[in-house]
Amino acid sequence: MAPPAQSHRSPSPSQPSGKGEVSDLKTQLRQLAGSRAPGTDDTKRELFKKVISYMTIGIDVSSVFSEMVMCSATSDIVLKKMCYLYVGNYAKHNPDLALLTINFLQRDCKDEDPMIRGLALRSSCSLGVANLVEYLVGPLGNGLKDGNSYVRMVAAVGVLKLYHLSASTCLDADFPPLLKQLMLKDKDAQVVANCLTSLQEIWSLEASTSEEAAREREMLLSKPVVYYFLNRMKEFSEWAQCIVLELVSKYVPVDSEEIFDIMNLLEDRLLHANGAVVLATIKVFLHMTLSMTDVHQQVYERIKAPLLTLVSSGSPEQSYAVLSHLHLLVMRAPYIFSSDYKHFYCQYNEPFYVKKLKLDMLTAVANESNTYEIVTELCEYVANVDIPMARESIRAVGKIALQQYDVNAIVDRLLQFLEMEKEHVTAETLVLVKDLLRKYPQWSHDCIAVVGNISSKNVQEPKAKAALIWMLGEYAQDMQDSPYILEGLVENWDEENSAEVRLHLLTAVMKCFLRRAPETQKALGDALAAGVADFNQDVHDRALLYYRLLKYDVSVAERIVNPPKQAVSVFADTQSSEMKDRIFDEFNSLSVVYQKPSYMFTDKEHRGPFAFSEELGTLSIGTEPSDGAVAAQRVEANDKDLLLGTSEKEESHGYGNNGSAYSAPSYDASTTAGASQGHFDLVSIDQPSTLHPPSGFAIDDLLGLGMPAAPSSAPPALLLNAKAAIDPSAFQQKWRQLPVSLSQETSIDPQGVAGMTNPQALPQHMQGHSINCIASGGQAPNFKFFFFAQKAEGSFAYLVECVINSSSCKVQLKIKTDDQATSQAFSELFQSALSKFGSA
Amino acid sequence: MPLAASAIYFLNLRGDVLINRLYRDDVGSDNTILPLRPVFCVFEVFKKTEAIQILSVYTIEILRGNMVDAFRVHIMQTKELGTCPVRQIGGCSFFYMRISNVYIVIVVSSNANVACAFKFVVEAVTLFKSYFGGSFDEDAIRNNFVLIYELLDEIMDFGYPQNLSPEILKLYITQEGVRSPFSSKTADKPVPNATLQVTGAVGWRREGLVYKKNEVFLDIVESVNLLMSSKGSVLRCDVTGKILMKCFLSGMPDLKLGLNDKIGLEKESQLKSRPAKSGKTIELDDVTFHQCVNLTRFNSEKTVSFVPPDGEFELMKYRITEGVNLPFRVLPTIKELGRTRMEVNVKVKSVFGAKMFALGVVIKIPVPKQTAKTSFQVTSGKAKYSPSIDCLVWKIRKFPGQTEPTLSAEVELISTITEKKSWTRPPIQMEFQVPMFTASGLRVRFLKVWEKSGYNTVEWVRYITKAGSYEVRC
Repeated sequence: MAPPAQSHRSPSPSQPSGKGEVSDLKTQLRQLAGSRAPGTDDTKRELFKKVISYMTIGIDVSSVFSEMVMCSATSDIVLKKMCYLYVGNYAKHNPDLALLTINFLQRDCKDEDPMIRGLALRSSCSLGVANLVEYLVGPLGNGLKDGNSYVRMVAAVGVLKLYHLSASTCLDADFPPLLKQLMLKDKDAQVVANCLTSLQEIWSLEASTSEEAAREREMLLSKPVVYYFLNRMKEFSEWAQCIVLELVSKYVPVDSEEIFDIMNLLEDRLLHANGAVVLATIKVFLHMTLSMTDVHQQVYERIKAPLLTLVSSGSPEQSYAVLSHLHLLVMRAPYIFSSDYKHFYCQYNEPFYVKKLKLDMLTAVANESNTYEIVTELCEYVANVDIPMARESIRAVGKIALQQYDVNAIVDRLLQFLEMEKEHVTAETLVLVKDLLRKYPQWSHDCIAVVGNISSKNVQEPKAKAALIWMLGEYAQDMQDSPYILEGLVENWDEENSAEVRLHLLTAVMKCFLRRAPETQKALGDALAAGVADFNQDVHDRALLYYRLLKYDVSVAERIVNPPKQAVSVFADTQSSEMKDRIFDEFNSLSVVYQKPSYMFTDKEHRGPFAFSEELGTLSIGTEPSDGAVAAQRVEANDKDLLLGTSEKEESHGYGNNGSAYSAPSYDASTTAGASQGHFDLVSIDQPSTLHPPSGFAIDDLLGLGMPAAPSSAPPALLLNAKAAIDPSAFQQKWRQLPVSLSQETSIDPQGVAGMTNPQALPQHMQGHSINCIASGGQAPNFKFFFFAQKAEGSFAYLVECVINSSSCKVQLKIKTDDQATSQAFSELFQSALSKFGSA
Repeated sequence: MPLAASAIYFLNLRGDVLINRLYRDDVGSDNTILPLRPVFCVFEVFKKTEAIQILSVYTIEILRGNMVDAFRVHIMQTKELGTCPVRQIGGCSFFYMRISNVYIVIVVSSNANVACAFKFVVEAVTLFKSYFGGSFDEDAIRNNFVLIYELLDEIMDFGYPQNLSPEILKLYITQEGVRSPFSSKTADKPVPNATLQVTGAVGWRREGLVYKKNEVFLDIVESVNLLMSSKGSVLRCDVTGKILMKCFLSGMPDLKLGLNDKIGLEKESQLKSRPAKSGKTIELDDVTFHQCVNLTRFNSEKTVSFVPPDGEFELMKYRITEGVNLPFRVLPTIKELGRTRMEVNVKVKSVFGAKMFALGVVIKIPVPKQTAKTSFQVTSGKAKYSPSIDCLVWKIRKFPGQTEPTLSAEVELISTITEKKSWTRPPIQMEFQVPMFTASGLRVRFLKVWEKSGYNTVEWVRYITKAGSYEVRC
């Protein structure tokens, strides 16, 4: 009988939880338990099926555990299997009941039928109940020596299961040496393969603590063992071959002759129908020849055909897995694949994830001989397919242009895109044209002519708008309308939501003013006024900077805002070569698909933006960079900065976060405006006085003298328990239960932010104020902390979520507490502690 | 990095669990650090406030070790579905594949072998299909769930793939629907040597098979992939072919297959030291074989020799990019006459032999979304406008060789002001099957069967060429 179609994920009043049915089952099973009447097994089967089907859809049927066990005395193998399945599912949560099953499992382990022996052994190892491990040692030992290979095969994996349950029991029983013996002499290939997987796992996990295990792990990679496996290669199943090949890829042959021997032996594996075997073989080839440049290149040539076949056959998912690997290889050696570019043409119906990889590869393999065809093809995609694809295609064209092949033709194409009058195409193209001009300023005339025709009203995306504005400013002298277009944009300042666009607008107006002062004067005045009144800190600061620069000396302003520029020769790479090598080392694994080394997604320190600390009060991120892994991540971060840096290069010359340059408190806008020099009069800000209040306010803000400073003067009445403690899970639970009693925004001292480069600093500082950090995480500029504090008398606890934006110096606080009355007091205490951070 | 799957789930399109099997405890139920993992990803995906709300409901599920909810929340119920078949949520990676109306999800917590995981799923589905009699969908799973649990137990142990060969598994995993019902269960007990073969070296064939009539069926199935520009030049063209075999042979036969491929022929003439026969030879770009084929012998002698599994299997796959005979040429002319009218003329030429014919030819000609009215004239077959896919669908059931039927259509559009430019002209797509034709020109020259009893065999060979992705831009 089929399980009911409706899913019952959790028992709720609206859905029958199956309670009635379950108790029905229970009585029926009980009646059958002792019966030996003919046909009982068939009835049992139906009942067991029902139980299993309930179990599958999530109804808790653990209450019939004892009845199931009672009914399990049967010779019907299918019934047995269902029973094992049931027991395996519920034993973990009912360890006491699991004890009941041990009896019949042990008996079955001695059954005369090898099938039943194997099944029973597999099931008993899968129970996963730690206090039953003693019952596993005996059957496992017998299993490993069993005359039947099926049982041995099961036992070999069983040892690994036991190890995960209780490592000490497994090691004390001397199972690993037994496995090793079996691995080296068993005549059945699957047994050998299972021994190998178990041993690999056990010894890798043990290696960190035991030298002997580390030695044993090395032993697996020794010449005799590797050759033993190589010689038996053809006996293994396709899956086992993958495992063996993985082992071989780690083996270091002594000389080139040995390398060739191994490769000759394995070459036929490239013809295997299973793509996983082919990939594993490719890994062996690639890794063995790394030091032999010529041969390495030949290997690339040799593996090309099988890889391309794998890509074009099988499901999209399979070809995605292979394409990711091909992608990696193409990126490493684009010239080898440059004649195969047609294989990377996208089909109309392919899923986007496949197309994206193909576009990347098309970009990479472009060279003098094929650029024309590739760009023509890419232009098809721009016109022909969905929007994300069109965007990616334009970016690909741009990337090819930046690689310096036949730029002439490409620029023409890009400009044609602008004439297509599709918003997403225009937007994407503008961004590209901007980058292109930064690299090839000589094209400015052609580009400007077309860009000038674009109405800024048709460009809505912030990035594109920013790019357009940048060009308007940069090429102000070549674009007739530039000042007037900018003026129009300034008029709509308030409607512009993106801070990035407003920043660019400020700079562009400034540049335009320095070149065509009379025409831009009004626009500049309006822009500066609007900019200074802007609520965004960066915009505000930049406007103020320009204002003061102009006031100080226009020639200095010109030097800073509009210096002579050098064309960018190479844009920074997003990924360091070290990272790429790491990924290459991990060929044929998830790292290749994710395009990042495995430590970044398997180690818990690097997993996700938030890492909860394991020990109380200590931080889990930013642990000492003792291993190269962390260092590598830093490198990556730097790379990213570099990239950002280039795109902002022109604008950020004289502009930084350093507040001291322009935040002299003695400054008074109204008086200086009066005494302004001739140049400044040109700007003629209509109402200088309007500048005053916001700027004065902002300066206070900058110095962090705002509200947070106030409470620090008066000692807070609230006292905190200096030894407060809570474990993370309790914290989590509490955080869930409590409502937010206070939510506040405040700011942090910029110097404090500077101190946050050391992630330990803030938690340590806060601990000095009896506030403990439970967890922290995030990446610049956003950091998130969870803090915990307790009232000195009484057990009232305060839970704080604190989000710090290090670039805007803004802090968002959420406080939860079970003592609502003191939440305000605590908030003040917390903020005063926070405000002292960095200044102390 | 082996595949160590932590769990496998079968879900229907709504996300209900049809089958789940946990292989390792490393996802979810370890209560030190692991349960917290999915919590991070909640933060990652949602804004803080939402995160807290979801967290409360969600962590509880996670604490139960229910990774499938993570999949539901983060992939099935978001736009992520279909954007990438490999996704990381928290510390776990999810590989998923849709097969008919079922999602198969594999969860791993380590840096696993992706290719292996997907291949495993594909092979597992093949296995299930051979048990359920060809179909694999939600109903088949519901009707056979006990059997699937049994199979899942055998094909994977502690996350490592074991034996997936249907021939062997069928020896000892039997349930209703495939073999006799259970009343005769004493006879159903596995034959003593079945377990030996479970792991044996010739894992794909058991001994002692007897057939009254010894027959072999060979199917050469090719799919042509074409991408043609609007100007009629071939941008990309290749053929992926496979040779499917159905064997009903007694004993342990040794088979040898000869094709008209260049390398094989050259090698043969070399060995026999006589010049190669004239005639068409073809160059295979790449070949892969079923595990039964002796690859060493293929490498040294270039012959395909093997001991076949019993029943149906895929003997080899190949790919060809040079010298492809395209069965059809499509010549479209699409004129946009002003804002509201279009004229579509499509001529399709069959370029294979006049005695042959294609079956099930479907030509899909895309038209803009705002199509209002269409009228057709076709010289062969039937055409209609299908608004659901925005295409003119022209069907010709039987399409003889060396003919060139045409379709001319007038399309009237609803006039719109804004969207006029947004029609992106997707390519014309074509479906067809041409029996007894191979786009690659591949031919079977011989199939030899040796068996020690020396029986006679009957060999049947069929060829068919299908459209893979046959696209012509217009």
